Amino acid sequence: MAFSAKTSAAVLAARFLTFTMRLLGSGGTSLPGKVALRICPDLLARLSGHFSILMVTGTNGKTTTSRMVAQLLEASGLRYRTNKSGANLASGITATVACATSLFGNPKVPWLLLEADEAAFRVTAPHLKPKAVIATNFFRDQLDRFGELYSTLNAVREGLAGTPDSLLVFNADDSLCASLGIGMDTGKAASRRLFPFGLSVSASPGSDAFSSDAAFCIRCSTRYRYSASSYGHLGHFSCPSCGYGRPTPAILCETVVAGPDSSRVRIVTNRGAYEAEIGLPGLYNVYNGLSAAALAEALSLPHDAVVKALASFERGFGRMESFQAEGRTVQIILVKNPTGFDQVLGYLETLPGPVTPAFLINDGLADGTDVSWLWDVDFERFAARFASRFEEQAADDAAFMAVSGLRADDMAVRLKYAGVPESRILICPEPDAMFLDALARTPKGGTLCLMPTYTALLALRGILAKRYGLRDFWK
Amino acid sequence: MRELTLIHLYPDLMNLYGDRGNIVTLKRRCEWRGIQLNVVPVSLGDPFDADRADIVFIGGGQDYEQAILQDDALTKKRDDILRAVESDVVFLAICGGYQLLGSHYLTGEGKRIECLGALDVCTEAGRKRLIGNLIFDCPFLPEENRKVIGFENHSGMTFRGPSVNPLGRVLYGHGNTGSDGTEGALYRNVIGSYSHGSLLPKNPALADFLLERALLRRYPAGERLSPLPDELERKAREGLLKRFLHTS
Ligand SMILES: [Zn+2]
Repeated sequence: MAFSAKTSAAVLAARFLTFTMRLLGSGGTSLPGKVALRICPDLLARLSGHFSILMVTGTNGKTTTSRMVAQLLEASGLRYRTNKSGANLASGITATVACATSLFGNPKVPWLLLEADEAAFRVTAPHLKPKAVIATNFFRDQLDRFGELYSTLNAVREGLAGTPDSLLVFNADDSLCASLGIGMDTGKAASRRLFPFGLSVSASPGSDAFSSDAAFCIRCSTRYRYSASSYGHLGHFSCPSCGYGRPTPAILCETVVAGPDSSRVRIVTNRGAYEAEIGLPGLYNVYNGLSAAALAEALSLPHDAVVKALASFERGFGRMESFQAEGRTVQIILVKNPTGFDQVLGYLETLPGPVTPAFLINDGLADGTDVSWLWDVDFERFAARFASRFEEQAADDAAFMAVSGLRADDMAVRLKYAGVPESRILICPEPDAMFLDALARTPKGGTLCLMPTYTALLALRGILAKRYGLRDFWK
Repeated sequence: MRELTLIHLYPDLMNLYGDRGNIVTLKRRCEWRGIQLNVVPVSLGDPFDADRADIVFIGGGQDYEQAILQDDALTKKRDDILRAVESDVVFLAICGGYQLLGSHYLTGEGKRIECLGALDVCTEAGRKRLIGNLIFDCPFLPEENRKVIGFENHSGMTFRGPSVNPLGRVLYGHGNTGSDGTEGALYRNVIGSYSHGSLLPKNPALADFLLERALLRRYPAGERLSPLPDELERKAREGLLKRFLHTS
C-alpha cells in the first residue's frame, strides 16, 4: 500500500505526542492513538502489512501472558515492539503500531506483540490481520463496562471472523474460549490452524467450583459434565447432550509441581516433551505459561526458548511485584475479578510467617464502578484459614487485615460478613497512609501483601516510587 | 432455636454481580441472633416446595442463562411460586429475577416472552443500559435507614400494574424505567429490585425487614428481632450517601 502524506502525518503525530507525554511523565496513553486515527482513520490497515503481528486477548492473564511471549520472542532472537502498561484499547494499539513505523513507512522491528481487550480486539484484529492470536480465557470481568460475558466472547469471535488466516492459540479447558474453535473447520475459516492448550487430568487439582461462570453448554444449554477441573469453570468439560466438549490439547501440561514462588511443569506437544519452570506461582500462571508455550508451537520456535522465557521474565506491573522495605517483604498483586482474587488469596495462604493482607479497592472506570463483585470472592474460606493466624499472633496483637481506597468501608463490611473480627480490620481510606501504617504494624521478617484494584495501584505510585525507587513501574 | 428456610432459586443460572452477598448477609444476621437459616438451592428439574419456603431469593442472570431456565420455571414451578407469593412467603428478586416474576418481557424486536405472572409488572427492552450507583427512599423502613443504596445494571424498563407499589422513590440513579422516579416493586411480601449484588449488606435495615416478615409468618407469637450494632455498615452507608447525595 502506498505510503501517503496522510499516513505519514498520522505516524508523525502519534510519535511526537507519545514522546512529549513521556517527557512530561504522563502515564496517559490514549491521546496519541486517538489523534493518529483522526488524521488517518485507516491507519492500522495501512501499516499492519509491514509486521508479523501477535495479539493476546481474553479476560484474565493478558498482561502476564504478553510478558511471557515477549521473553519468548527475545529468547528466540526476534525483535519486537509491544504495547505496555495495559494500553490495550484501540487507541493504545494504534499508537504502538504507529511508533514502530518510520516516517517513510518502514517497520522499525519485524514483530509486534499487542495485548488487546475484547472490544479493541473486535475493532482492530480485522485490520491488523495478526499472524497468531492467543485467547487466554473468559471470566466475568468488569461487567459494568462490557455488558455481559457472552458479548465479551462474541466480540472476540467477531474479531476472529475478520482475520480467517490467523493461527489461533486458545484455552481448551475453558468451554467459552474453546467455543472459538467451533465451526472453524467449515467455510471460510476451514484452513485456520488451531493450537488448543490445556491441563491433563492429573495436573488438574479439582476444585469445589465455588462460582461457575459457565455451567451450561454454550451450544445446547445442557449442564456440562466435568471429569477434571482446575479452577473456576476451567476443566475437562463435556456436554452429554450435543457432544460439544473439551478439544484435545495440542499443547498439554502433563504435570504441575507447585511451589510458593514458581511451578515446575512438563509440557507435551507433537514436537516432543520438555520440562520448564514457570517463574510465577499459582495455577493461573501455569495457564499463562502454557499459552506462551502453545504460541511457540504455532510459530515453530524452539523449546529451549520457551524454557528460558518461562523461567526468567520480569514480573509485570502490579501483577506480582515484590520488594524489601524496613525488614519486611512487600508484595503487590493486582486484583480485578473474583476468579483472579480467589487465586491470589489461595497464594497468600501458602506464604510462611506473618502475613498482612491489605485490600485497596477503588471504583473508578478502570476498576469497575460496581464493587459488588467483592461478594463473589471466597473471603469466607480465606477468613477461616486466617483465623488460626489471629490466634497465634494474639499476644502482640499483630495479625490484622487492612482495607483502603474509595471503597475501603465496603471492603470492611465484606470482611466482617466473611467472619473476620471487626477488631482485626484496619480501615484507612488513604492508600499511602495505609501502606505506612500497615507496614509498621507487620512484624519484621513478615510479608505485607498489597492487593489493589487498578487505580488504587496508581494511587500508591507516589510513595512506592519516592521511597523505594520503583520508578516508572506503571509503564 | 428458631429456624428459617431460604430457597435460592436457580443459583447456578441466576448469579450475576455478587448476588451471593444478599444470602451471606441474611445468613449472618440470623446467626448473630441465634436463628438458623437453612439455604436450599433449587435449580433446573428440582421441585419447588412452597410449604417449606420462608424466604425465596432469585438473583440476576445473563440473557443466555435466563433463556435456559424459562421453560423449567414456567412449566414446572409456576403454580408453586404463585401459591407461595399469595401465602405471603417473603421474596427478594433482583434484576432478571424481578423481571421473571412479572407477566412478560417484550424484546427489542417486539417478541413477547412469557414470564411467571406472580407480580403485576411487565418489562420492555430499553434502548440504553442503565448502569450506576442507585439510591432510593423506602418509606416502610425505619426513619434513619430509609435510604437504600445499591447498584443497577439493566436495559429492561419495568412498569407496574395498579396492585403493585413501588419499592421506593429514586434519589440517585435510574430505577424501574429511568424516567418515572420509582424503583422496584412491593407486593404482599415480595420485593423486586434492580439493585443487584450487595443490596442487603449495605442496607441491613432492609435485610432485617425481610427477616422480620419471615419470622412473623413462621412464628406469629415469637419475639422480635434483636438489634445489631452495624457500625461498619453505617460507616459505609454514610460515606456513600455523602458522596452521591452530598448529605453531611
Ligand atoms: Zn451441548
